[in-house]
Amino acid sequence: MIESKYLPQKVYVEKQSFDFPLTKRILESLSQIPIVAIENPRDLIENIRTSRNVRERGKTYLLLTRQKGEFVKPCPCTPYYIGCNYFIINLDLNCPLDCTYCILQQYLSNPLITVHVNLDDLWRQLDVFLHRNRAGILRIGTGELGDSLALDHLTENSKGLISYFREKRNALLELKTKTVNIKNILKIEPARNIVIAWSLNSRRIVREEEGGAPLVEERIDAARRVSEKGFRVGFHFDPIIRYPGWEDEYGEVIKRLFNAIDPGQMAWISLGSLRFPPSLKTIIKERFPSTKIIFDELIKGKDGKLRYFKPLRLELYKKIIDLIKNWGGEKIPLYFCMESKEIWRRALGWVPKGQESLQAYLSSPLGPLKK
Amino acid sequence: MKKEKLSIDDITLKDERFRISYYFPLDELILSIKKIGLINPPLVAFRDKHIILVSGWKRVLACAELAITHIPVFVIEEEDELEIFIKAFYENLTTREFSLLEKAEILNRLKRFGEDEQNIVRHYMPLLNIPRNLPYLDSLMAISQLEPEAKRFIQENSMPFLPASLLAEFNPEERRLLFPLLSPLSQNKKKEILENLQDISRRIGTPAEKILSAQEILKIQNSEKLSSLQKAEKVRFLLKRKRYPAFSSWEESFESLLKKMRWPKEITIRPTPYFEDEEFSVTFTFENKEKFSANLLKLQELASREEFSKIFNLVK
Repeated sequence: MIESKYLPQKVYVEKQSFDFPLTKRILESLSQIPIVAIENPRDLIENIRTSRNVRERGKTYLLLTRQKGEFVKPCPCTPYYIGCNYFIINLDLNCPLDCTYCILQQYLSNPLITVHVNLDDLWRQLDVFLHRNRAGILRIGTGELGDSLALDHLTENSKGLISYFREKRNALLELKTKTVNIKNILKIEPARNIVIAWSLNSRRIVREEEGGAPLVEERIDAARRVSEKGFRVGFHFDPIIRYPGWEDEYGEVIKRLFNAIDPGQMAWISLGSLRFPPSLKTIIKERFPSTKIIFDELIKGKDGKLRYFKPLRLELYKKIIDLIKNWGGEKIPLYFCMESKEIWRRALGWVPKGQESLQAYLSSPLGPLKK
Repeated sequence: MKKEKLSIDDITLKDERFRISYYFPLDELILSIKKIGLINPPLVAFRDKHIILVSGWKRVLACAELAITHIPVFVIEEEDELEIFIKAFYENLTTREFSLLEKAEILNRLKRFGEDEQNIVRHYMPLLNIPRNLPYLDSLMAISQLEPEAKRFIQENSMPFLPASLLAEFNPEERRLLFPLLSPLSQNKKKEILENLQDISRRIGTPAEKILSAQEILKIQNSEKLSSLQKAEKVRFLLKRKRYPAFSSWEESFESLLKKMRWPKEITIRPTPYFEDEEFSVTFTFENKEKFSANLLKLQELASREEFSKIFNLVK
């Protein structure tokens, strides 16, 4: 297995961030890399934003700074479609991988790979947040504005997060990745409220659209090792992308997945089809001139994002759900990311009644978490 | 800057290095100069032993039209071309709105005269109400480098940034085929044609020129019965069908069901956009109780037809 280990060409450190233990740990492991102290990250970000190859350049620099706002936020989801009541921890921003369809290209104004180093503030904010929301079970993850494990060889944040959350009875932590950066995970004792999740795609999509990401076979193998260690694992077929032969190729991945991993260890599988705001299309066209995925039959959904025409989405979902069920995934909770109630009803046969019911559904295989 | 009076014939209009305005109507300016004379003197500079115009093309051409032989000018003594151009830029900035083509020409000149790219993005683009990022600069540079025919088309059709930048992505031959199709259409429809054509071309890997030269499009183009607007609409429809085959077939099935039912024109029935939800809306207007009741009766009658149920099957 080839581990994708990100190494920046330069590290920028906000002057006031030097004394944090996480900064020291990262700088120690990057002793050969030039380090530049900066007063204000804003000037640096502005300078890179107005230069050529913004995204490419941004990925070569690591910025160590403080999270000055809230670490924990509700997942932005999308209006008019069913949300899954997920919360995100904004610990790392951006991702060293370079997927054509990545929303971060448009969503984040800061193009640098950024690590927030003020972890004490994170733990303090999490204590308050979990206490305030103690009535229900919260699903929370770090993989929305970055990849949860892509920088883990530098930050070792997985260790801290898992240690923190294993004691919490009303929260499920999901670490979502496309990488095979699992060295730290394999050293940690599992806990039943921790889910390590992988985004999966067909071989062709991985090869053509997920630049720098490990092969899907490698991801499944990493998931196998993590599940054998005793962790629950989750999978995200997102974005599912249409192309001639998609059905067979997604089928192969699903077959491989269920051959490798005990369905009993799978916490959930989510499905989402290709979708993006129209402004991302311009960026994708410019950055990835050979990709064709943006020229398929994508219409403007209720939220203004481009997505496949509904019958095409339905066809994708129905076939993938059938494949999952046929390969032994009948009991695994399946859910959609940013889909309409019509799609839920027609593809899964039910519609969640509010976000709490979806919450309960997704935490059900983990058993009651509250003591 | 020195103010002088010069003969128009002494100004070398062939030298267009500072020119940013093209394809403009002069009628109003001619009327104004006729009434009150030339109030605001153009800017000129000495270059290679010639007097060249820096700013004020419309004013000078209007004066020439009026056979005015001598005009007041400000002579810029600056040597550096970038500095000269910046003076002209600021002279114009406060007095008028720039068209898209003029903005493109301004950015082109700034770059040509050696202004730093990042400075253009950070400083000049916001002054021109353009988002400060390089892709915008690249698109506008592409517009500034188009052939005169395309520039004239953009200017005369007041094309906004998006469709104009799309137009710039086609080659000159493709643009030549596109002009008559785009001309009669609204800005939104122009953009739709350009987007769909480009998407189809990239999806199937066929040059746009070949798509536009397909038999079905040529047949429409060569028709003697159709007006230019009808031709453009037919081609737009055809491209939409190619770009969105599944959606178009749903739309056509829906329309055909309505046609079979002889759905009355005064009552509108609509699915949600792109059939995204499984709901429909019906609207009609009425001016009295009788008209209202008549429409309800008509709707009841339509609801009892077999075809009406088919509408719901369509979206399931």
